[in-house]
Amino acid sequence: MNQFTLQSRQRTFLIGFMLLGLLCMVITYLTDDALHTRFWTNYLHNTVFFLGIGFISLFILAAFTTSWAGWYVGMKRVWESFSLFLIPGLVLMVPIILGLWGHFHHLYHWADKAEVAKDVILTGKSGFLNPVWYTFGTLILVGAWIFFALKIRQLSVLEDTQGKGVADDFSIHRWIRFWSAVFLPIAGFSSAALIWQWLMSVDSHWYSTMFAWYTGASWFVSAMALTILLLVYLKGQGYFVHITTNHFHDLGKFLFAFSVFWTYLWFSQFMLIWYANIGEETIYFHERMTNYPALFYGNLILNFVLPFLVLMRNDSKRKTGIMVTGAVITFLGHWLDFFLMVKPGARHTAMEALASHGGHGEGAASHALSVAAGFSYPGLLELGTMLGFLAFFLYFVMTRLEKASLLPYNDPYLQETTHHAVWPYAEHE
Amino acid sequence: MSAAVSAIREPLITGGKTYHDITEDICAPTERTPSRAWIIAFIFAVSALAFYAFCVTWTVWVGIGSWNLNRTINWGWDITNFVWWVGIGHAGTLISAILLLFRQRWRTGVNRAAEAMTIFAVMCAGQFPLIHMGRLWLGFFIFPYPNTRGPLWVNFNSPLLWDVFAISTYFTVSLLFWYTGLVPDFATVRDRAKGWRKKMYNFLSLGWTGSAKHWQRFESLSLVLAGLATPLVLSVHTIVSFDFATSVIPGWHTTIFPPYFVAGAIFSGFAMVQTLMVLTRKVLNLQDYITLEHIDYMNKIILVTGTIVGVAYLTELFIAWYSGYVYEQFAFYNRVMGPYFWAYIGMMSCNVLSPQLFWSRKLRRNIWLTFLMSIFVNIGMWFERFVIIVSTLARDYLPSSWSYYSASWVEVGLFIGTLGLFFTFYLLFTRVAPVVAVAEVKSILKLAGDQYAGKEHTGKHPESADAHSHGGH
Repeated sequence: MNQFTLQSRQRTFLIGFMLLGLLCMVITYLTDDALHTRFWTNYLHNTVFFLGIGFISLFILAAFTTSWAGWYVGMKRVWESFSLFLIPGLVLMVPIILGLWGHFHHLYHWADKAEVAKDVILTGKSGFLNPVWYTFGTLILVGAWIFFALKIRQLSVLEDTQGKGVADDFSIHRWIRFWSAVFLPIAGFSSAALIWQWLMSVDSHWYSTMFAWYTGASWFVSAMALTILLLVYLKGQGYFVHITTNHFHDLGKFLFAFSVFWTYLWFSQFMLIWYANIGEETIYFHERMTNYPALFYGNLILNFVLPFLVLMRNDSKRKTGIMVTGAVITFLGHWLDFFLMVKPGARHTAMEALASHGGHGEGAASHALSVAAGFSYPGLLELGTMLGFLAFFLYFVMTRLEKASLLPYNDPYLQETTHHAVWPYAEHE
Repeated sequence: MSAAVSAIREPLITGGKTYHDITEDICAPTERTPSRAWIIAFIFAVSALAFYAFCVTWTVWVGIGSWNLNRTINWGWDITNFVWWVGIGHAGTLISAILLLFRQRWRTGVNRAAEAMTIFAVMCAGQFPLIHMGRLWLGFFIFPYPNTRGPLWVNFNSPLLWDVFAISTYFTVSLLFWYTGLVPDFATVRDRAKGWRKKMYNFLSLGWTGSAKHWQRFESLSLVLAGLATPLVLSVHTIVSFDFATSVIPGWHTTIFPPYFVAGAIFSGFAMVQTLMVLTRKVLNLQDYITLEHIDYMNKIILVTGTIVGVAYLTELFIAWYSGYVYEQFAFYNRVMGPYFWAYIGMMSCNVLSPQLFWSRKLRRNIWLTFLMSIFVNIGMWFERFVIIVSTLARDYLPSSWSYYSASWVEVGLFIGTLGLFFTFYLLFTRVAPVVAVAEVKSILKLAGDQYAGKEHTGKHPESADAHSHGGH
């Protein structure tokens, strides 16, 4: 079966979860503090997480195409569909952008003009941290990514019907490679700018040159994990017969390798800041280690220790059960990593704002924070919200999968992908 | 490995070679008397090596005072050269380990020479910290072992000590990896040799007979060594970057340093591989094994890593402004606009701007431009380290101690001298060992049949016509 059709049962199931997510968001909003901090942080967290998976999938596709990889083309429709999620992702960013202008959320300390005026550091950054940059940066740069996602997808689908192979020297594929190559440096430069805006500026005083690459690595692992899970499911449904254990083995290698790479970046960032012990920098980790210890150490266990041990062996990457376990752990682990990027800073901002607006009057940073669901750990509402976003993501992806053949018939590497074998294993092992 | 190979791929061995042709072509340079070009190059290299010995002696005799370092700028050419050479020593193990894990078949054409280069480059790098100690004969103090020196003991908190471990481990594993690969090829040379050469290669090939059991163990060992070497490729330059980044000096202390140093190291390593390959393939007549395709691939890696380094440069500049930290802002202002602005310009133009030429396939496959660019990148990466080290130190927290530094003849001599050391070893290597991995090249001929054996079986060097059209040769 090379033609995917979304069955009504699956549709109902996914819509059910989307409604659950929506319900959770409504409940969060209604039971929230005056600034709706929990609601807005959840919204930002999930939007950026899933939007990023779309972005990094396009990046993966472009990087593999540019490097003449052949093994993956049997699953390239999955990444094409992931990358198209950039479109709904951009739409999801709109409420956050509007909130910056309308001040109906308090995610970013720098968005508060009165605060900026009395803060030398924020005044210094205001040339970059301001609603205009945020708005146009997001719209233009994500818009550019969408352009590349659509271009590559369109050519890829065109190749199915119009591709002539050796006869015209794979001209459509060469165009895909052209657009992929052009996208790579653009992605490299622009993603950093947006990651600083969306995520790093939540802790608006803090800075780290590593942050953008670190976040990108986190997206990468999440995208790999989600790819594995989706492919296992669809294979179970009888699709993707051409994807074999060998392909999963290679996906597993990527999941393993990039989990280690993520850890490398995590360690480099943490160790250098810890070693130099400069207050402006250590505050970020100090806050997380004192007030969010479970998340802070759990992050390392879920995203390094477990995948490292589970996926280390060669044969573990060839067993569906183990691979699914590894993928679930890392997917949730990186979702929590983003949780930990967003929550502490935004919570701090909100507490200060509530205190200065004569609200609850708690001293913001002076003493240890209380344990609170939705901040110190993800509560059921966060879980429900995530499932809602995930269902939306998958619904969108599956409707894209329906639009084209699962096997790209005229791809130059078709034979390589359908006969893929990982040394020393055989092709159909 | 999959047996199917897409028709879109270009051949990796040209000239319609047979197994026997491969043995003949690659072993030949070790069997004939050296060419005139080789002899002239060797005389130059050995002269530079002799000058190196002289400069080291001078440094030891006169003292470190013969260098132009001063109280403010206490690291100069020495550590710049150290980092430069370590960086160059990255491509070989990247090609042999990481590209092996990624099953990149084109690695077979260049891995041998690149690994050799890696080992020689790391040896050159190791010279500088030792010479910088001044008392060369106390070099063994860097090792932590039970001794009678009382409190004079290594500092485990110092990244400089971590360097000792990282680089010696890297050197050991790279050497083992290289030698393992050489064993079957030494056996091939042995089987063709007579007299004392046969004895020598017999000793070097460790009794290799080519039995199935030997090959099976060889493959397993290669994979294990690749697994060990892969983290080492990253760790070495990561720890070199820690030498700077663990400090609290603005311009040195920045979290992006580890991956950015690694990317820069791969960048400079490939540049040096290109410099050597362009010459080696011509002099030893190996254009069918180190093809334009190989050069094209390596130029792509240079383009990618050069652009990654570019992202890092701009990230540093931007975050320095963004930090709102005046010292950080000044450090980067000084880097771009300060007394060493020329080094910054050199770095940016050689590392980020000029590699962008390689977007053009035509230029990637132009031998002369490739050679020129590889020299540019080598210069640019030297400038990068000079910018980081010297321009930062020259303007410290205390303006009254600000200073300017230019190297003395001894420091320049030491640098040129290590080039002599490097090329002496490399030239000897081309005489003694097969410069291309014979067994590995044969393995891709067998696996991919016509695809990699070359589409056209006519003409000795299909690309030489191509090069002519670009005005080459």
